[in-house]
Amino acid sequence: MGFLKRIAAAAGIVMAGALPSAAQTLTVWHDLGDNGLKWFEAMSAEFAKQRPGVTVKSLSYPTDQWFGRVISALNTDSAPDLIYNNYERVIRIQDQTGKVSDLKPLLGKVSDKAFLSEDDLKVATYKDRQIIIPIQRVQMGFGVRKSWLDKVGEKFPETWEDAKRVAGKFRDNDPDGNGKADTFGFALEAAKPRDLIHILDLFSFGTGLRHTLIDPAGKITVDEPRHAAVLEEFLKTYTSYKFVAPDTINHSFTEMYQVIEGGRGGMFRVGDWNVKKWDGEKVLNGDFIVGKWPKFAADEKNYVVIGGMRGIAIPENAPNKALAQDFAQFMLTKAAQQASLDNVGAAVRGDLDVATLSPRSQYFAKAEAPLIAYDFPEAVHPFYPELEAAFHKKLLSGIANPPADWKPFIAETAKEMRELAAKLKAK
Amino acid sequence: MTTTLETVWHNRIFYLFVLPFAALTILFGVWPIVLSIMVSFTASATALRPNPTYVGFANYAAIFADPAFLASLLRTFLYTAAAVVVNVGFAFGMAVLIDSPLLRRGGLLLRLALFLPVVTPDVAGYVVWRWLYDRSFGAINALLDTVGLPAFAGLTTGPTAMISLLIAELWHHAGFYMLIFHANLAIRDRALEEAAHVDGATAWQRWRYVILPQLKPAFIINTVYALIQFLKTFTVVVVMTKGGPNEATNFVSYYAYQLFDQGRYGEATAMASVLFLIVIGVSLTIYRLGDREAAR
Repeated sequence: MGFLKRIAAAAGIVMAGALPSAAQTLTVWHDLGDNGLKWFEAMSAEFAKQRPGVTVKSLSYPTDQWFGRVISALNTDSAPDLIYNNYERVIRIQDQTGKVSDLKPLLGKVSDKAFLSEDDLKVATYKDRQIIIPIQRVQMGFGVRKSWLDKVGEKFPETWEDAKRVAGKFRDNDPDGNGKADTFGFALEAAKPRDLIHILDLFSFGTGLRHTLIDPAGKITVDEPRHAAVLEEFLKTYTSYKFVAPDTINHSFTEMYQVIEGGRGGMFRVGDWNVKKWDGEKVLNGDFIVGKWPKFAADEKNYVVIGGMRGIAIPENAPNKALAQDFAQFMLTKAAQQASLDNVGAAVRGDLDVATLSPRSQYFAKAEAPLIAYDFPEAVHPFYPELEAAFHKKLLSGIANPPADWKPFIAETAKEMRELAAKLKAK
Repeated sequence: MTTTLETVWHNRIFYLFVLPFAALTILFGVWPIVLSIMVSFTASATALRPNPTYVGFANYAAIFADPAFLASLLRTFLYTAAAVVVNVGFAFGMAVLIDSPLLRRGGLLLRLALFLPVVTPDVAGYVVWRWLYDRSFGAINALLDTVGLPAFAGLTTGPTAMISLLIAELWHHAGFYMLIFHANLAIRDRALEEAAHVDGATAWQRWRYVILPQLKPAFIINTVYALIQFLKTFTVVVVMTKGGPNEATNFVSYYAYQLFDQGRYGEATAMASVLFLIVIGVSLTIYRLGDREAAR
């Protein structure tokens, strides 16, 4: 009997050793599409080397749906373990739920983080809470169709005057050679709130301005001479210059991408996450140059714009919070960051291998061009989203019914924004 | 009371069979509406929690203080009025045409052509309309250009965007209304027309005093249905304009959806509840008016 017991005990020990450790699954919700799914899959494989039995499962939703799902899940205690998105979107989640964890203590434990700048951490902080761990800097450059430039005998535009000249030629000189007048100077968007501001921000920051609408002290900058000059040209681009498709007033991201990828727009915004797709044979096949945004005055300097920070956040009611924290820290390691660069085209570390990337991806990855960051007014002024929405509506009304002279329109807009900002501050 | 219970007991088998369907109707038909109305009385940030914070009529006060909502409501009424008149009028005209003895041969083809859009998925249809209206490569402007007419602004200006949506919705819905008119025309009492003819009534008099009164049921059903349909206009806006240009087609349903999308559940459901009350009120009023007329 004793012998049998010993055999059974030995068999038990052998069996226990052979069985895998308890399997656990972490769930992440993001909006990065196929590239994001591949990235999390690659990170899951790497993370499993440190934490056997742990699988990271990611789900990608269109951005609009991501908001609704995350807000309802956090508010009904059915949250995923982690959420991943741009900082300003996580701010909105925090505003609606109040259930995004403060990650300051967690980041305090990470030793290898010297690559995160003070600005990176500032962006990740909202109302004294660090709501994301920064994982990917969002860089946005100015893209131009290379074959079109060759066809019209132009070089990559450095100044706004260059860009206007090139835009006119792209519109009038049949740069795609199909014999039809179906091409436009720029592919822009103006349908939804933020669409317009987003593009205006890029033109403003790209020429070295620090604020589009309001500065950190709360001063409205719309009618300051340099800002007003950019704004006026921006509004004319949609209207009297006729550089964009006539339907642009109804174009949001989807339609703007159709104009770019359908080969009808010659100059456009290129985000670091766009390059991989647009390098594809069936899309733009790499037929575009990425560079700095055009400068509006000779004494200004051109930049590539850091348009935000994507990062990982942990809901306070995450089902596997401790494990989620481990994974969030892991996302800053070299292996995870390399997977980020390879799959999504962006990272925060500077010590990654970029040799296998296309020249356009390398342009972002090496960060060789001068970079300028958004001013992130959401993090400074809690009332900013409301102010921005009003600004957008005003600009859109101008584009829908263009005045003969934009200067009084800009002055009136600035006055209205000052009044609204004062009202919102007093709330 | 005893009599009622006796009746129920007497028909117990019938009630037993009806019970599951009644329960499903309440569960999936009525309960979501009740929940939605309840959410409209809660603070958005807590709306989906097990114990939401109730804020009374604060969301209703907020939406009625919002000029964008009031403008959206007015826009919805104007669009609905135009769409009901155009759709019901067009459908009636087409039904009369199809009913005409002169169109016996081509009638089936015309009926098919008018009804096919009804069974076509609305999103697919509106995507095609959007392409047709496109200022750069749309077929409508290509055609106008070919015949030397000025370009149609389509979805790029406020007034033309409204007209464009109206045409696209007419294409999608008119076939259904036409079918109801046609069915009503088919079952009318033709002996009355013959009698009127014998009595010397002109063709116009026969239409005005004999046929039209018989079409009242179709007019009431179509008008009520069209009112409900167009007060809730949503899909065509999502696909074709996203509320633009410059808010020109931002109807109440789409505006509520935008707020819902921003997590402003309280205000969004308050808007939906207001729209629900308007739809119910308008529908019941028209039915009651129809009933009163019929009782005279």
